[in-house]
Amino acid sequence: MNRREFTKAALLGAVAAGLPIASFAQGSRTIAVMFDSLQSPFWISSFDAFKAEIAERGWTMLENISNLDDSRQFQQVQSMIERGVDGIVIVQTDANAVIPAIRAANAAGIPMVHYNRPPAESDAKSVAVQADNRTIMRDTVTALVEEAKKQGGKYKAALLIGDLGDQNAIARRDGFFDVVDQNTDTVEVVARIATEWNADVAFAGLTNALQANPDINFLVTSSDFLHPQIEQALKVAGKWHKRGEEGHVLFAGFDGDEGGYARLADGYLDAVGVQNVFFEVDLTLNALQDMWDGKEVDDLLLDPGFVITPYNFEEKRDEMWGYLVWKSQNG
Amino acid sequence: MVSDTTVPPRKQGYRVLIARLLSEPAFTVIGLLVVYTLAVTAAVPGFLGAGTLSAIFISLLPLLIAVIGQSFVMIVAGIDLSVTATMGLTSVIAGSVMTANGGYLADSALAVPVGIFCFLFFGALVGLFNGLCVAFIRMPPFIVTLATMMFVSGAAVLYSSWHTTSVSIGGLPSGFTRIGYGTIGPIAFALILTVLVVVAADFGLRRTTWGRWLFAIGNNPTAALISGVPVRAVQVSAYTLCGTCAGLSAMIYSARLETGTPVLSQNLLLDIIGSAVIGGVSLFGGRGSVLAAFLGVLLLTVIDKGMQFIGLTLFVVLSVKGAIILLAAVLDALRLRYAEGKS
Amino acid sequence: MDAKAVPLFECSGINKSFSGTQVLFDVGFAIKAGEFLGVIGENGSGKSTTMNIIGGILRPDSGEMRLNGDAYVPTQPNDAMEAGIGFIHQELNIFGNMSVADNMMIGRYPRRWEKLPFINHRAKRLATAEALKRVGLDVSPDAPCWSLAPGERQLLEIAKVVSQNPRMIIFDEPTTSLTEPECRRLFEVIADLQAQGIGIVYISHVLSDVQRLSDRIVVLRDGHAVKSTATRDLTRDGIVEAMVGRPVSQLYPDVPPLGERRPVIEVQGLTQPRVLKDVSFSIAAGEVLGVAGLMGSGRSELARILFGLDPHDGTGTISYEGAPFDPSPRDCVSKRMAFLTEDRRHEGLLLTQSLTTNLELVHLSGAGSGAHVPVDRKQQVSNAEDVAHRLRIKARDLVRLPAKSLSGGNQQKVVLGKWLVDAPRLFILDEPTRGIDVGAKEEIYRVIAELAGQGLAVMLISSELEELAGLSHRIMVMSRGMNVGVFERQDGGFDRAAIMARATAADVEAA
Repeated sequence: MNRREFTKAALLGAVAAGLPIASFAQGSRTIAVMFDSLQSPFWISSFDAFKAEIAERGWTMLENISNLDDSRQFQQVQSMIERGVDGIVIVQTDANAVIPAIRAANAAGIPMVHYNRPPAESDAKSVAVQADNRTIMRDTVTALVEEAKKQGGKYKAALLIGDLGDQNAIARRDGFFDVVDQNTDTVEVVARIATEWNADVAFAGLTNALQANPDINFLVTSSDFLHPQIEQALKVAGKWHKRGEEGHVLFAGFDGDEGGYARLADGYLDAVGVQNVFFEVDLTLNALQDMWDGKEVDDLLLDPGFVITPYNFEEKRDEMWGYLVWKSQNG
Repeated sequence: MVSDTTVPPRKQGYRVLIARLLSEPAFTVIGLLVVYTLAVTAAVPGFLGAGTLSAIFISLLPLLIAVIGQSFVMIVAGIDLSVTATMGLTSVIAGSVMTANGGYLADSALAVPVGIFCFLFFGALVGLFNGLCVAFIRMPPFIVTLATMMFVSGAAVLYSSWHTTSVSIGGLPSGFTRIGYGTIGPIAFALILTVLVVVAADFGLRRTTWGRWLFAIGNNPTAALISGVPVRAVQVSAYTLCGTCAGLSAMIYSARLETGTPVLSQNLLLDIIGSAVIGGVSLFGGRGSVLAAFLGVLLLTVIDKGMQFIGLTLFVVLSVKGAIILLAAVLDALRLRYAEGKS
Repeated sequence: MDAKAVPLFECSGINKSFSGTQVLFDVGFAIKAGEFLGVIGENGSGKSTTMNIIGGILRPDSGEMRLNGDAYVPTQPNDAMEAGIGFIHQELNIFGNMSVADNMMIGRYPRRWEKLPFINHRAKRLATAEALKRVGLDVSPDAPCWSLAPGERQLLEIAKVVSQNPRMIIFDEPTTSLTEPECRRLFEVIADLQAQGIGIVYISHVLSDVQRLSDRIVVLRDGHAVKSTATRDLTRDGIVEAMVGRPVSQLYPDVPPLGERRPVIEVQGLTQPRVLKDVSFSIAAGEVLGVAGLMGSGRSELARILFGLDPHDGTGTISYEGAPFDPSPRDCVSKRMAFLTEDRRHEGLLLTQSLTTNLELVHLSGAGSGAHVPVDRKQQVSNAEDVAHRLRIKARDLVRLPAKSLSGGNQQKVVLGKWLVDAPRLFILDEPTRGIDVGAKEEIYRVIAELAGQGLAVMLISSELEELAGLSHRIMVMSRGMNVGVFERQDGGFDRAAIMARATAADVEAA
């Protein structure tokens, strides 16, 4: 490789990089969508939903992914401000480190909406859209307890808890206890399993709990991404049975991903608390529209979510993002 | 007895030509910069605006400081993989001292000076440790600093999670966060700081015995020892300065994010080493300059920024940057083969 | 001269051990001002250790050194230089990445202010230019050192030492990487230094240089200084005898008689653009064909083409054992050709591996074996033992000891030996004795003669005409890629003057 070839290659690269944006800048509004990663189905679905919805509204989307790097995300926000976007949708990694970015957007007069994760308290102005984790979990567990009451008997419950550094995980845990504390006659909590949002930790924790309490028959997970590990642990304990079969464990999940959908459809799950991705995306973009229109928008906009159970399965599944993922994967 | 006469200088002219070309990566870098900037401007006309360019310039300052530190180590034929971890550690330690949310010196007039001292001191400390291991225990720099990286980044997370309930430390005093984007008169404070580092480093490398010794050790440590160079002390000093620069860089980054975080720049390592290599600081030691560090940082930052501007996905950005760093490394290896005849 | 009373430098009773093994025993010698002292000895005889002690790199266990009558006790390299003893190392201490001036002044930069480490660049350049002038090296102080030729680097190193006003300079194998004119230049500079009263300690394998230049010769053997005599009182045989420790009745073994001529390889009109031109020759079983010629005459290139290492896309034919043959290294190995390359350390030996592994390397890629054939460990060891026995390789453990633990001569034999496992029929040897000491050379000569006696065809390439004359049946002279003449052995010898003339004549014509 000599210098001429090197330069040629670099030129080619630069030109190739320039091509996709040839048809740029026809939309009336340009939105920067800034995620910190695309590491789980939830974020990928959200990202795709933004793409679709923004195109639907005739706007243009600029994507930025920071790879969990706060400094880089801040620089990306600055780039987008210099680029003169009309609005910023952001998923930050760190609630504190995002504050200078909000300030920068404030200074430039560009509205900013946090998708699914609110920032830390500060004097900077932005809007956060978030699932109402506690309420959704409450509704989900309520559905599961009703099922339990219908079948009768006493239940020994286990809860898989997320990383307690994450506000969402805390809210889900609290939503769980809101319900079971009211129904101590039906449900007794025998295991609280800390997962730290780590699949291996979750598997080990659940396996231990099932050995210590072989009669666990009521299980709630704070996130659907743990389903493969839960299925494995229950199989090992001989407790992986469908609804209506002997030994079925009453089982509820949270998020509404494609794993949750598949297990609900197959009859292993009894309820899933769904974060309504499509609703949240709509809420986010509406908030931007409202701010452009000069309307007052609340700091926190909640997605009430919904609970999907075998009883409303047919009518609700089209709103469940995991179903769409599942459908695209399974034809 | 048949004896050999002069080797005909068959390849000599050709070799010297290639060596000359390779030994001036500055031209390649500047050429690439111009071409790339024009290409991006063609796509997004706003790119060449004064606002964008000055923003790029201001944003690359902390990276430049870290790369200068790394250059010291690379010139003595070492490498410091622990810089980003060191940055995270100094960020949370200094943050825990200064934060208004239960910091050790919360609301004290000493908070900011002590915080700044923490950045420099703990940065230097990690560097000193690396340097001692490399120079006195003769451990390969790669392994020493890789291990330090794991240890320090783990320690940073432990420290911050022990100090606060969340992972990061917010609420840093405004006296500190001004370092990030504040100005003294019309000039950005970070710029003044960086210029000081640049001038000192450049002077040190080119005009002092210490600087020349770095180059000698990087090229041939045994010969340096025989020539009376205090090899070990100079090696230790290079690593210590590298750690100190990492601390300084972390200070600006933390001030800009207004947050002390253990993952301050955990994805920055390849940018740091890559910038140095792109500019012409050799991975094999014995070659490098502050100008090289600057050009490398400038090119990498402009490329990054340009692709952000266009709105390309991260994975395209990563591939392009990776390809450019790889090319620079290949050129570096060729330069070694053709120019310095070191095998 | 009053220097006669007190020698310039004197050492006596020097002992040194490394981890329990004594390598120097009561070594002592003296040198006068302006004297040229040649120090010779086989590898491992203690020359380097002795010089490193004088140079302050190692410390002796006992013994004393005196410089102009005063006790001299260096503890680090700098001490030696400050006392006036310069050391030109075999591995030159050049920093290719820095300028000539930086190389010259690295350990003692002129400073702008006494106490501060700021370099006075002007003073640095001036002092450098001055020093370069003293050795007649015409390069800019600002030139980067990677651009210097080996000879210039050598002179730079000398200039660096000379500029520090030494009283004595140690040269350790200074000519290994120099061309003939560069050597002459070096000798002129040394003579000039001598004239200035500087004592010269000169270590070299090139006995003829030492004999020609030195006033006195010290011979080291197994850590003892066995001889210290005025050069004019020594014959070449006397020197070699002192080095090897036994009388050298004949360095070269008898050349085995040739029976019926049965060609193993025949080359007809071999031409490769810019490398070879119409080369024809043949080698018969049991014959040693010497190939003489200057460097760049096409000797090594011919060998590489024969073994398929370099491409042959020109004209001409090669036939091997009666059949036409288009060489590739794998083919050559499977057809029982063997090739000892010039660059043995890099191409020939796995230094960290055991002898068995090294000896087996060729066999593994040779006839009848492929990646899928399992390695027969027992067979390997017995093959290795067989070869080690044939070559008299002195090693305590063939299976576990790494090759680098052997002496240079024995390493050489391992490289030879690895080709012998598969009983080759043609053996190409490119400079088989370069850089090894006399004792090891003798062993290699014996092996070559024995192999020829067993019916091997040998192509022997060497820069030492003496060596070719001692071993070959015929000598082919090459020049500018051509075969310019073949000489037959007559009356047990060759007309060396005629061969020399032929090898250089074409060169003169060309010029």
